[in-house]
Amino acid sequence: MNLDKWKSQIVRGTLEYGVLLMLKDDTCYGYEILQRLSRYPIISSTESTVYPLLRRLQKEGLLASSWKESAEGLPPRKYYTLTDEGRAYLAQMDAGWQSLLEAIEALKGESSWTKS
Amino acid sequence: MDKKLEKYLDTIDKNLRPLPASERVDIVKEVKASIQEMLGDGLTTDQVLVRLGDAKTLARAYLGDLLAESRGFSFKRVLTICAFYSLVGFSGMIVIPCLAIMAPVFIACGIFCPLAGAVKLVDYLLGLGIPWVADIGVYLSPSIKLGPVAAFFVLILLGAAMLVAGILCWRALVYYCKKVGQAKRYLSV
Repeated sequence: MNLDKWKSQIVRGTLEYGVLLMLKDDTCYGYEILQRLSRYPIISSTESTVYPLLRRLQKEGLLASSWKESAEGLPPRKYYTLTDEGRAYLAQMDAGWQSLLEAIEALKGESSWTKS
Repeated sequence: MDKKLEKYLDTIDKNLRPLPASERVDIVKEVKASIQEMLGDGLTTDQVLVRLGDAKTLARAYLGDLLAESRGFSFKRVLTICAFYSLVGFSGMIVIPCLAIMAPVFIACGIFCPLAGAVKLVDYLLGLGIPWVADIGVYLSPSIKLGPVAAFFVLILLGAAMLVAGILCWRALVYYCKKVGQAKRYLSV
């Protein structure tokens, strides 16, 4: 189905934005990020997408991470936070996202206007 | 942890080989922690494996751009690495020893020159006649020698110039080493 391909293309670009948004006011560990993403079927992703993405964002300096040994019986967790650079990048993404939404809305309005 | 899961982690580690060891350890640790979280949530070993998918695919996703250009053996990559080491090897043989010697020597001269000039000046003004100090001076040619006062100022300027040269050499050395390190990391060799 072509729709699935289209969706996955959208998600690929959006996931980065979603992950950064999630870390805006919060520190999360990888598994937690996956769990929270799985609440939204459209953006829900697998380990093989999210973990390498987190690593790449960290390498680019947008995220910082630190290992924390959890309480007894629980595995250690690698927590991610947004760096200042990440925060600035996120603000730019917000602006980009906003103009995308506006463009889509305008296109929708335009098409309904020409039809009527 | 299950044997199957241990083996899964092992496969990931093997397939991450192009990455530096420290990074591999970190990745495997994170995947392992994730598996433990899933098991804690009540998933069975098989469910975990299904969810994570093929180990090679997961490892390859981490390698990303690195392997996108060169999956497996790549002649271009070998050549790049050869070129890198040839260049660093040959340039390093000259650059590192030269700068490592020049930097401290320039700095030492930069300190010593004005000192010598000062000693000469004091000796001349007070007429102390300290042995060997008569030999200190700035010679424009074997027979023309500057007076002690002029020599003192020339030596201060000379000393400052050498101090600057020494510091620049030191900075160049640090810069060279950093760049080599960065290039090495970029090539992940």
